Amino acid sequence: MTEYLVRRLLQSVLVIFLITVATFLLIHAAPGGPTQVMLAPGLSPEAMAQQKANMGLDKPIPIQYIKWVGGLLKGDLGYTFKNHIPVGDLLWPRMANTLILMGAAWFVSLIIAIPWGIYNSTREYGLSDQTSSFISYLGFAMPSFWFGILLQQWLSLELDWFPLSDMHSRGKEGDIGDLFMHLVLPVSVLALGFLASYLKYARASMLEVLDQDYIRTARAKGVKERKVVFRHALRNALIPVITVIGLDLPILVSGAVLTENVFNWPGMGRFYVENALAREYSVLMAITIVTAVIVIIGNLLADILYAVVDPRVKISGKGGKSA
Amino acid sequence: MKLKRMNWWSVLLIVSLVGILFTGCSTNNNASTSTPPATENNTNKENDTQTEAPPAADQPVDGGTITLSTFSDIVSLNPVFINDTSSGDVAQFLFAKLYDLNREGNVTAEPWSLAAEAPKVSEDGKTYTVKLKDSAKWSDGQPVTADDIIFTIDTIRNPEAGAPGISLMDKVDKIEKVDDKTVSITLKQIYAPFQYSLVVELIPAHVLKDIPVTELQKNAYGTDPAKTVTNGPWKWTAWKQGESHTMDADPNYWGEVKPHIAQVIYKIYADQNTEVQALLKGDTDHISAIPVTQVEAVKGNDKIAIIEKPGAQYEYLNFNFDPKNFPDNYGLFEGQKTRQAIAHALNRQGMVDNILKGVGALMNAPFLPDTWADPKDAAVNYDYNAETAKKLLAEDGWVAGKDGILEKDGHRFSFELQYNAGNSRREQVAAVIQQNLKDVGIEATPKAIDFAAWIDQNVTPGKYQALLLAWSLNTPDPDSESIFSSKYFPPAGQNSGWYKNEKLDQLWIDGYSTVDQNERKEIYKEVAKEISTDLPYVFLYQYGQAIGTGPRVHWAEEDRPEPSLGYGQYFHAIKWWVTD
Repeated sequence: MTEYLVRRLLQSVLVIFLITVATFLLIHAAPGGPTQVMLAPGLSPEAMAQQKANMGLDKPIPIQYIKWVGGLLKGDLGYTFKNHIPVGDLLWPRMANTLILMGAAWFVSLIIAIPWGIYNSTREYGLSDQTSSFISYLGFAMPSFWFGILLQQWLSLELDWFPLSDMHSRGKEGDIGDLFMHLVLPVSVLALGFLASYLKYARASMLEVLDQDYIRTARAKGVKERKVVFRHALRNALIPVITVIGLDLPILVSGAVLTENVFNWPGMGRFYVENALAREYSVLMAITIVTAVIVIIGNLLADILYAVVDPRVKISGKGGKSA
Repeated sequence: MKLKRMNWWSVLLIVSLVGILFTGCSTNNNASTSTPPATENNTNKENDTQTEAPPAADQPVDGGTITLSTFSDIVSLNPVFINDTSSGDVAQFLFAKLYDLNREGNVTAEPWSLAAEAPKVSEDGKTYTVKLKDSAKWSDGQPVTADDIIFTIDTIRNPEAGAPGISLMDKVDKIEKVDDKTVSITLKQIYAPFQYSLVVELIPAHVLKDIPVTELQKNAYGTDPAKTVTNGPWKWTAWKQGESHTMDADPNYWGEVKPHIAQVIYKIYADQNTEVQALLKGDTDHISAIPVTQVEAVKGNDKIAIIEKPGAQYEYLNFNFDPKNFPDNYGLFEGQKTRQAIAHALNRQGMVDNILKGVGALMNAPFLPDTWADPKDAAVNYDYNAETAKKLLAEDGWVAGKDGILEKDGHRFSFELQYNAGNSRREQVAAVIQQNLKDVGIEATPKAIDFAAWIDQNVTPGKYQALLLAWSLNTPDPDSESIFSSKYFPPAGQNSGWYKNEKLDQLWIDGYSTVDQNERKEIYKEVAKEISTDLPYVFLYQYGQAIGTGPRVHWAEEDRPEPSLGYGQYFHAIKWWVTD
């Protein structure tokens, strides 16, 4: 287990390094730069050069990269070009906001999708199964911003049950009840999206397992159906579901730009787009590296979880037995 | 037991989903049926918006909070470096200016201006004497002095500082301190537009004078509310990045006229559509730009007052005169008659009526309609007439080729028309231009480019064939030398189309070399005549965005917003009040 983790970690460091180099080059290769966006047109070439020098943008790209990595190793994500604000001050609150929103949506969709998917696999093509199919199609097909606007028109502007947008009412920052009310609509939109795929995965993977010989054996032995489903089938069926969920983990911090826009949620999706348009190199790099780390952690967690649900999966270096 | 509950769930889910779909439909129906009566109201609304919406009958009350909004956050509130509208918006509340503009666009010492009286101009027209009010104070209690004026202007005109307003101050020769409250500013030459350079916010010398000028932009002054010493009616209390700014009325504000509103919140929305929804809901009280596509929907809500009037900005179609930008170095727009033909071919009134929904005015020269420099009939007006256009093109030697596209000397009349991606107005205008030109045998291919890349690779270096862009005019002065004179070729200047006309070059200089407004008016008439004949641009229209105000906000008639001025959406906000 330890050996495995160490090996995975070393691989991860290499992957992150390659990602940062590639991203850094790509971002700098994009035409335009922070100075183009922020400087007044008609500024003399000398003044522009002066500005670039003030921001450190006159140095060759490899030097800029080394400076950036040096800062990163000290935990310094750099400063914005346009107004010299520490990137961390901007990034972490945004990430927390997104985590609240996406985490809630993810959690809601999981606690609905997994039990319901399991239930549907035992009553194939029943009313409940058909309903869940309908919801899945809706979730796949309906653009999230459109669904969001519908909910706003109906539940906020017309009925006034929920706030229209934002994360807090003014002066109610930190009030959990207020936050909850603001979460209802965007979480409904996002959860529907997650639900669409999780329902399908949970059901399909259960159906596949229920068709296996060992399930038939269990049933033939006279094991109670309830026990067959929960004891014998479920753990096997969860493996593919865990893979999908693990792959979704990074979304929890990278955010959903369209939904965040519609509900004016101050999250990461919007943050990324704004900074891409403004060519804020240090912010973009910070988002990239944080997201990369989370993707890797997500995959690692999924691997570990396999072992937890399925004793046959052994996490080890060479033939050790554990889990 | 568990299974039963599941069944109930599914039924509930079906019901609620079907419910959503149905209401989705009915909302749309409501909207479409209720629009016509709303538009009927509109015809009357034009006139009564100002009076009807914020009932001015009751007396102003002190206190309360107003929520304003926008769709991008500020960059810096150091006035010397402000170069984006959001920062400029917030600065209107935090900083007093040396002088303010009145509704007609004249430089005035208002009760809330720092200057005590109108600037005194010397007889030779080169020296301006400015006297500050004795009472003017910074939010840290220090007086506003002559040193602040000198420090501010010296910083702006120092190229090392990188201040965007450098061109406003580059005619300054020297600034002298007359006494603690008075300075005299001497220009290198007579330069009439300089009076508008005095409509400027100051920075506190006592706070910033020891910081090296190259470090100023990085300094926390302007980004940290606690370190940003201001001198306006409200103080900057808090900035939640990407979300909102809080400004509270300064109890020690020096002005004789105190603000009624106790707190100003400036909220940042994700985009204009989200912002409009928030206005309808009442989450924000006053927005400065309702997208054209949403204006009708907002009008349907009788609680929202709308002010529609074109602002200080105009859109244009710019020709590039540098032959290097065309295949075989053959400049397609060399012929004056060709350019005039294009002007005739475009249905500009149709653009105003259909794309701007009427909130716009045609222009034939770079001077805004209804300002003192408006040339009216002195400029040539090009009516929409494809036949005249075809005739002019034929006179200039263009003949139809095999595919119907005009040709001359073996060169097809086909060019690329660039604009910035994401601007839906320009996208529509570009499509109209493409169609209009096709009707006369010219092939225009619209191309949308990401803004940052476009400015970097095309606009600044002057590398494009034709483009669609707008100028937003910072001051009411008609001088546009820096856009049209051959002194300002790319990449340093803003004459991105490499336009050269020696007669105009001289006229622009004549225009600012006298301070006599009547004399200037005659010169700008000449400019209008020449420029509308020669057509470096096809001037399209002055345009604007509708201002929307919720029911909580009130103002007296003379304090209503004035869209034709920069930041005019907050005109006289110090005298507005809110009710709940």
